[in-house]
Amino acid sequence: MMSKATATTVSGRTSDIVEQVPPPRAPAARKHMRNQFFTFRGNLSKHAQILTSVCASLIVIATWEISTRLGWINSLFLPPPSVTIETLWTMITQKHLLLNAGISTLRVWVAFAISVVMAVPIGIAMSSFRGVGAALEPIVDFIRYLPVPALVPLSIIWFGVGETTKIFLLWLGTFFQLVLLVADDMRRVPQEYVEIAYTVGARPRQMLTDVAFRAMLPSLFDNLRITLGWCWTYLIIAEIVAADNGLGFVIWAARRYMNTSEVMAGVVTIGLIGLLTDQILRLVHKRLFRYL
Amino acid sequence: MAPAPYLVFDGVAKYFGDLEVVAPTFDLAIKRNEFVVFLGPSGSGKTTLMRMVGGLETPTAGEIRLDGQPIDGPDRDRGMVFQSYSSFPWLTVAQNVAYGMKYRLDMTPERKQRRLAHYLELVGLADFADAYPNKVSGGMRQRIAIARTLAAGSDVLLMDEPFGALDAQRREDLQLELRRIQRQDAKTVIFVTHDVDEAVFLADRIIIFSKRPARMLEEIDIAATLGPDRTLELRDSERFFKLRTEILKFVRIAAGHEN
Ligand SMILES: Nc1ncnc2c1ncn2[C@@H]1O[C@H](COP(=O)(O)OP(=O)(O)OP(=O)(O)O)[C@@H](O)[C@H]1O
Ligand SMILES: [Mg+2]
Repeated sequence: MMSKATATTVSGRTSDIVEQVPPPRAPAARKHMRNQFFTFRGNLSKHAQILTSVCASLIVIATWEISTRLGWINSLFLPPPSVTIETLWTMITQKHLLLNAGISTLRVWVAFAISVVMAVPIGIAMSSFRGVGAALEPIVDFIRYLPVPALVPLSIIWFGVGETTKIFLLWLGTFFQLVLLVADDMRRVPQEYVEIAYTVGARPRQMLTDVAFRAMLPSLFDNLRITLGWCWTYLIIAEIVAADNGLGFVIWAARRYMNTSEVMAGVVTIGLIGLLTDQILRLVHKRLFRYL
Repeated sequence: MAPAPYLVFDGVAKYFGDLEVVAPTFDLAIKRNEFVVFLGPSGSGKTTLMRMVGGLETPTAGEIRLDGQPIDGPDRDRGMVFQSYSSFPWLTVAQNVAYGMKYRLDMTPERKQRRLAHYLELVGLADFADAYPNKVSGGMRQRIAIARTLAAGSDVLLMDEPFGALDAQRREDLQLELRRIQRQDAKTVIFVTHDVDEAVFLADRIIIFSKRPARMLEEIDIAATLGPDRTLELRDSERFFKLRTEILKFVRIAAGHEN
């Protein structure tokens, strides 16, 4: 430990110095770090950020645990984290929780993929060509404001209670939002980029693929990441009304027996999947868009 | 017989809504291989005139013809250095410069490679070839735009204050180089600047504009006095100095500080 600290000091990596340099410089550095916490867009080291994230999460979990243990909250309604984790484990080993999680994830990704494949070209066309935009905007806006649950009965009448209904509901919830986000991303591509392309001889199609699409990629990626999260909301609705497997079904089934710890375990599983997906996508974003 | 004009503004006027930017009617004929410099107060409509030549704006009235053909949209025969000198953030410096040649099917990859190296060297960016634009200074970004446009090899160069963010030495080097390229490759240039020294040094002809709406106030034939070859010594000559003083006077008049 000691040798590591010395090594980093010698190599002069300032981001590590904050935590590892021995006194007398440490107090000043530590004070500096504390200030950075509340400086607008301040410079907080990577380590300090991770430490803060972990601490904050631990505090929430500990408060939750303690308040149920001390009986401030009836654990029948909100089981403590320890019980939830225990239940999670028994559900994994005995009740095919992972299989159900896999089924739900698959549904989300299939529906999401369909939405993306449709929304990206249509969204781009909507903001690139005034005619397409004028034609589609009212329709998209109308459907976008319909709450997905309101369309559950119709979709069951149309598609029955099979996979099609679930995929349809997820698609309904994401496609119409995404198409407008994509259109906005394209609209925000600076006109200058377009003009550079044209003045060096790009044809409209080349300008679109080489410049406009490339320019909108980072914000498109961000929007996809956010929309994927919404997919999970609609998935649970779809699985509650029409499914005999998947996480939504597991949660809803547990509710029937007032088995709150299983409900909690199901909810936590969704949260964990979300956390993992988001972290992976952030990493991919960083890799893809190093130039930002 | 005088050569037929190459780039012609014929009865041009330009309005943005109610805003009159180029006063009707603007007429100007530019010869092939001529270097024309636009001088005029800020907001007078110089950029707008350039953008119309570039095909990025359409005249409200009249037309602009290049080699007899009315201009209808942008194309690579007219290269542009924009006033805001932007580059693509997702491409490295070298890739940005190479982008100027991306759609040139008439150049072999080897030729493109040679040109890329040449123009990177010319604008002093060879050492930053692999950096992304957000990591280089404003002046360097401007040089990316200049190199990209030169590499594209258009016959007509439209340069909107291209040397604005450069230090004095780099500016002088690029002025000499631009003038050399223009002579050697027979390019027709329209160049906008607020720097009278630069204008006199580069121009065959200087056009001085009024405040908006743009109107041609004065036209000075520089080539008649200074000839086609521009060297650094010229800058210290008496001829150069007299022209400079004369043009400064016109510029003051154009700005409305003196009548
Ligand atoms: N797209 C546009 N829409 C509306 N007004 C515009 C547009 N482009 C330019 N203008 C207006 O036209 C006038 C001339 O602008 P222009 O950019 O051509 O001036 P300029 O001579 O290039 O000035 P500067 O020397 O500061 O670059 C300005 O008043 C400007 O606000
Ligand atoms: Mg301008």
